[in-house]
This record gives sequence, structure tokens and C-alpha cells, in this order.
Amino acid sequence: MVAAALELDGLKKSFGKAEIIRGVDLSIAKGERHAIIGPNGAGKSTLFNLITGRFPQTSGHVRLHGEDLAGLAPFEINRKGLSRSFQITNIFPKMSVFENVRCSLLWSMGYKYNFWSMVGRSRELNEGADAILEQINLTGRRDLPAGVLSYAEQRALEIGITIAGGADVIMLDEPTAGMSHSETDYIVDLIRKVTEDRTLVVVEHDMGVVFGLADRISVLVYGEIIATGTPPDVRANPKVQEAYLGAALEAEH
Amino acid sequence: MTNAELKTDPAKPAQRMRAGTLITGWMPWVIAAIVLILLPVVFQERSAITIMNQMAITVIFALAYNMLLGQGGMLSFGHAVYAGVGGFACMHIMNATEFFGSFPLPVLPIFGGLVGMGLAMIVGSFSTRNAGTVFAMISLGVGELIAACSIIIVAFFGGEEGISGDRTYAQPFFGVEFLQQIEVYYLIAAWLLISALLMYLWTRTPMGRMANAVRDNPERAEFLGYSARWVRFYSFVASGFFAGISGALFAINYEILTEENLNATSSGLILLVTFLGGVGFFFGPIIGAVVFTLVQTVLSLETDLWALYAGALFVATVMYFPGGLAGLLMMHVPAIRLGKGSLLVMPYIKTLIPAGIGILGVCGLVEMLFHLRHGSGDEMTLFWTTFDSHSVVPWLVFAAIAVVGIGIARRTAPDLKDAWNEANTPPKGAL
Repeated sequence: MVAAALELDGLKKSFGKAEIIRGVDLSIAKGERHAIIGPNGAGKSTLFNLITGRFPQTSGHVRLHGEDLAGLAPFEINRKGLSRSFQITNIFPKMSVFENVRCSLLWSMGYKYNFWSMVGRSRELNEGADAILEQINLTGRRDLPAGVLSYAEQRALEIGITIAGGADVIMLDEPTAGMSHSETDYIVDLIRKVTEDRTLVVVEHDMGVVFGLADRISVLVYGEIIATGTPPDVRANPKVQEAYLGAALEAEH
Repeated sequence: MTNAELKTDPAKPAQRMRAGTLITGWMPWVIAAIVLILLPVVFQERSAITIMNQMAITVIFALAYNMLLGQGGMLSFGHAVYAGVGGFACMHIMNATEFFGSFPLPVLPIFGGLVGMGLAMIVGSFSTRNAGTVFAMISLGVGELIAACSIIIVAFFGGEEGISGDRTYAQPFFGVEFLQQIEVYYLIAAWLLISALLMYLWTRTPMGRMANAVRDNPERAEFLGYSARWVRFYSFVASGFFAGISGALFAINYEILTEENLNATSSGLILLVTFLGGVGFFFGPIIGAVVFTLVQTVLSLETDLWALYAGALFVATVMYFPGGLAGLLMMHVPAIRLGKGSLLVMPYIKTLIPAGIGILGVCGLVEMLFHLRHGSGDEMTLFWTTFDSHSVVPWLVFAAIAVVGIGIARRTAPDLKDAWNEANTPPKGAL
């Protein structure tokens, strides 16, 4: 059997006595678009941070393509092909947009801690960075400092940075948070475009986005996954309706 | 964003950049080389060459320091030790007559660099784990530790007298024995050019780019596959290397090193120099080192209070121009690109000249106060005039100059502000 792209096995995390993630089992297949939803404080971001090595887990395992990630630092996990974005925009504000993307290409193009070649001279690197700018529609903003872009543009840049390294598992933490409807549509199209043939794990509040984008959905409530399935299954699940969806859908209409 | 940038063909970015580096990339270096060659022809006095040597050494050190501060986001309070220890090592090499006689003097700075680098590797292995306050405190602690060692480990640091040597024992370099100050100048100038070029090229490498990324956002850099710690470590080691080179040049130039080359004052001074010049641009520390060395040497001949003025200049820069002198210069680039730079000339003259005269008036008052308290006798000479600092008239004169000068500057400042806004407004329809 082919190993799942991402597999969580009895994952737990406590901060002191507070148990935030209380045993999560989840298997995400290669090429799947998987959304994690849940009410505020359910532990979605914490789960993200556990998977990407930002915090150490209390117990359990995270496996990327069957390989246990325990004890690895974020940069080591990234080198294994997992890349993430952040809920709060997390770019390099003083560097130009182009430079942001180029930096995110360096490791995957094998430059490592190289201090003898000129980044300006590598056609592969510069054209690669420009191709990504094209993909995220920021070519016109190429030479501006990233910090002066609009919020939606910064989010798009963040997605660009996240996908640039060629990671095959992409994790996006609330990519449309705080956006207007048109901006949301723009970002969702972008996500769909750039994650083609990759595994996507996304945490999202906006139900429209989730049901439009995801192949499968997991519902996280108080640190436990109460349901996993296709969007119609999840929508029909009485437990989910009780815990979360009903309230959220009501609020939306 | 200028229009020129928008109009360039986005389909061929790589070619465009390559052409850009060829034309604009090398010109500043060629000009710098010519200037360095011609400087001693223009300024032939011995004292001028002494000042230029000191300037060049400070430039290298400040550029090395800015690899940490400006590019890596690491604030060090103890960077003098890497220059100092590199210099001390070179002094010992100079005194190891047989070994020193086996190679020409211009090679010596490499040893200084390697020693500075070695020390940076040891210290960096634990200090670069974090940036920010932790790094700053470790740098301060290690700096003090090594400065304290200079009195304890007399064999290496020579105690309070320091150690001295003779650079002329090296193998002659194409017949040059570096007896003359001018010969030393060209040695230092050559190393300045090489070091500055290498440090500039470093900023264009993947390491240099990632140093910026880690400075801006270490966590994001980690999620791009780079360990923020290792990026900081490599920057730190490279900075230690160039600091060591500056220390070695100090050893060659002065032929003596003491505890002063290691202590917190020297470390603080280089922070001041770098910040004054501006950490945001590569050439910032160069301006800072040139201006500061001039203040330190030329102004100190004129007045005992030079450090006060240097301090005031520093505080004013930090408060009003956080980008430093380089930032101040670069602020004018948008206006010049718009072709409106000339709009600023008259308002600048109208504001800056009265302001300058007013500030000189204030300086006059300060000098008189100093003379009154600490001077000997009643006579003092200031601005080529001799007068009695105990009489009322000169006080009134200087106070009047200060009030009128600054008063006029305050009057004309709003016009300058309007001119500034006008000069930075693109013509209508261009956006």
C-alpha cells in the first residue's frame, strides 16, 4: 500500500494541564485537498503547528510519506517536502516581492548555504521566481517592498512563498481570513491553480471556501476529530450539525 | 515604482538583470578604485594620509559590522574583539621574525581575518542561536570577557602596554618595505577595495539573501528550509573574518595594539559609526566611517568637545533619520528620478544655511561655557576671533546668532516641506 501523504496517529498536545489536542488520527492521501474546520478554539492552528514542527507534540506521531517527523526542526520538515503558510501574514516585509519568492526557491534549487554564486546570475532561479510571480498575479508588484502590498496581495505572496519550494504537501492556515468576497474568490482560484497535483491541507473558517475547495473535510472540536468525509457526508452528519455546522451555516444566512 | 520599471519587458527578466549588473554594477567599483588611487595625490600631507589610513580601516570594520547589524539583524555590543584579536595575532606574527620574514606584508591581513573568523566560529557556535536581546547580551558579555583577558593573559595581549612590532621585517613586496606611510596607504586601500567588493558580493549570494530573510522573519525562513541559526552563524563568521582583516590592517598601520582595541568603547564606536552612516544600505557604513573619522580627527584638533558634537550628531541622526546619512541621501532619489531635484536646491539653501549658522552659534555658546569653567585665562579663540569669555558682549553676539539663525530656519522650513512634497509628486497621469 502506498503511504499516505500525511498521517497523524494518536497526536496529543497539552499546555500544562490543558489538553488542547486530544488524540487526533487522520490520514490524508496523496493529491487530496483536505480541509480542517471547527469552531474557534478547537485547536486547528495548534494542530497545524504540531504537524509542521513549530511545537513539539506531547505524544503520538506525524508521518510524512510514511516517515516519522518526531523531533525534526521546521527547516528539516520543510526539506522533506512540507510547506505551510500562516494565519497571520508572514512574509519578509522589507525585501522586494521578487526577493521574497526568490528566497523561497533557494533551498529547493540546491543552493543551501552557498556563498560563492551570485543569485542575480542564475537564469533558472530568476525565471523560476518570475514564473511564480506570474502565477500569483504579482508581476506588476515585482520590485516593491513586500510590506507595502495590500492585504490580499500579501496573502497571495504568502501562498506564493509557500508553494515556491516545490513541496508536495502544502498546508494553508486560514488563507482567506479577513478578506472581502471578491478577494476570497481570487485567493480560492489561486489556491486551486497552484495546488494542482499536490496534497493540500487547509484550515478555513469560510464554509463557502471549504465546500468549494475540499475533497474531504475533517471537523475538529475540542481537540478531537468528530467526523471526516466528503463535503456532502460531513454536511449530513448529525454530530457535526450539532457541534458546529448548524450554528455556522445559520450565521452565514 | 517608476514608470521605467513598469515598461520593461517582463518576459525577459533574467537578461535585463544581467545587463544591469554589467553596466551599473561595476562602475562604482571602478570609480572607487580611481578615487583611492588619487586621494594621496590630492592630499599629500602626512597627517592627511594618517587620517585616510584610519578611515579605510574603519570603513572595513564598519562594513563587516553591518553584515551583522544591517543585513543579519544582529546587534552586537562586542564586535571589537574580532578585529582586536585578529590584530593581536598579526602582531605576534610580526614578532615571530623568521616566519614573518618568509612572506610579504600584504599577505598578513589574511592571517588576521582567519583568526577573527576562528574566534567568531567559537563564539558564534553558541551566540547565534538567537538574534535580538539574547545575542546582544552574549556579545556584550563575551566582549567584556575578552577585554578583561587582555590584562590577565599578558603573554598574548601584552597587559596594559599592549604589544608592538615592526612591519618592515616582512619580505619586501616587489622591493617595497612599507617604511613610508604612503606605501602603507596603498596596502590598506587595496585591502579596502578587495574586502568591500567581497562583502558586497556576499550580499548577492544565496547566503546574503537569506541573511536578509532571517533578519526580516526568522520563523518564515525556517519554513523555507533554512535554519535561521545556521544562516546567522555563517553571517557572523564572515563578519568576524572581515573584522579580523581590519584588525590586521590596524596592526600594520599603527604597529601597536592595546586593550583599547578590544574594549566596549571600541565596540560601541563601531555601532555608532555604522548607525550614523545607515544600516539599510550597503554603502551606509562607508559614509559613516568617513564622516566619523573626520569628526574624530579634524574636529578634535579644533575643539576638546568633539565627542559632544559627535554624540549630538548621532542622537540627531537616530531621532530624525533612522536610515542614517545614507538613508538621508537615498530619500532624494525619487525626486531626482522624477526630474524635480532642482526644485529642492533653493529651499535647502534658505533653510540649511541659517540653520547651520544658528547651530554654530549654539556651539559657540557651548565652547564659551566650557572655556569659562575649564579654560586657562580669559582669552579664547573661536572661529578665528580672539575675545574675552568673561565679558558679556560675545555671549550676546553668539546668542543672537543662534536665535536669528534658527529663527530664520524655522521660518523657511514650511517652504522646504512644500517643495519636498512638490518634488516627490509624480506628474499627473503618470501613474
